[in-house]
Amino acid sequence: MQLFAVVAASVFAAQLLNWPIPGGTSAHFVGGAFAAIVLGPHLGALAVALVVTVQALVFGDGGTLALGANVWNVAIVQAYVGYGAYTVVADRDERLAAVVGGWLGITAAAASAGLQLAVSPGFGGEFLAVVAVMTGGHFLLGIGEGVLTLLGIRLLDWTGIEADRLRLVGAHA
Amino acid sequence: MSVRAVATVRWQRRSLALLLALVLLAPVCAWAATRVGYAEPMTNAAELAGVASEAAPTGHSLFSGYALPGLGTYAGTFGGALLGTGLTLVLALAIGRLLASGR
Repeated sequence: MQLFAVVAASVFAAQLLNWPIPGGTSAHFVGGAFAAIVLGPHLGALAVALVVTVQALVFGDGGTLALGANVWNVAIVQAYVGYGAYTVVADRDERLAAVVGGWLGITAAAASAGLQLAVSPGFGGEFLAVVAVMTGGHFLLGIGEGVLTLLGIRLLDWTGIEADRLRLVGAHA
Repeated sequence: MSVRAVATVRWQRRSLALLLALVLLAPVCAWAATRVGYAEPMTNAAELAGVASEAAPTGHSLFSGYALPGLGTYAGTFGGALLGTGLTLVLALAIGRLLASGR
């Protein structure tokens, strides 16, 4: 219970760190794969869904009409794809698996968001361009997401969480 | 279940310290945003696609921009980060408790 709360709050706080990129845009840690790796995909998705809901309803970020799309992209797609990629690689190298999970998770989420944008009337006729820009850009930026996913897991390990995490996993078994 | 109740063991105290560190960094990002002429990426994309004029607000918040009103940019951003992180922590504790009680 406490681990779920700490992960959700840390994803919220980390998403606030919106690092501006010269040129007027920005990048920030999203954390869907991080939450899924630490909590398991179902609880991880729930934690991130809570984060985007607070962002939309309390802070007006993302918009209420887009809440469903945001939950789908960030909480569902990123968490499950990131977790799936993590599990495929984890047997070989757990640290690499965290990076790959974060990287492919955010890339899949961006592809999903790109598809949604591309089929919206405002972007009509630019289907391939929108999907390519969203997916390609996040394929590169996603390396940072992967590294930060690993960093987040290492920081949680530093807190001494492992014993509690094992207890949580044991409770699910 | 209160936030204080979370900090009963070492990993929880350390986790709260890390959360506070993240919250303290929020005003730094707000400052950095002013240095590069920051605008929301989706706004930039809409302008590039020529559809920015079609945007319509779907809701209003006292805390838009993750800042508490009336405190200035940096103190307001710190306050907004503290509010949002604390609120998420409390709500997640409540959800976690509900899940645990149903298990």
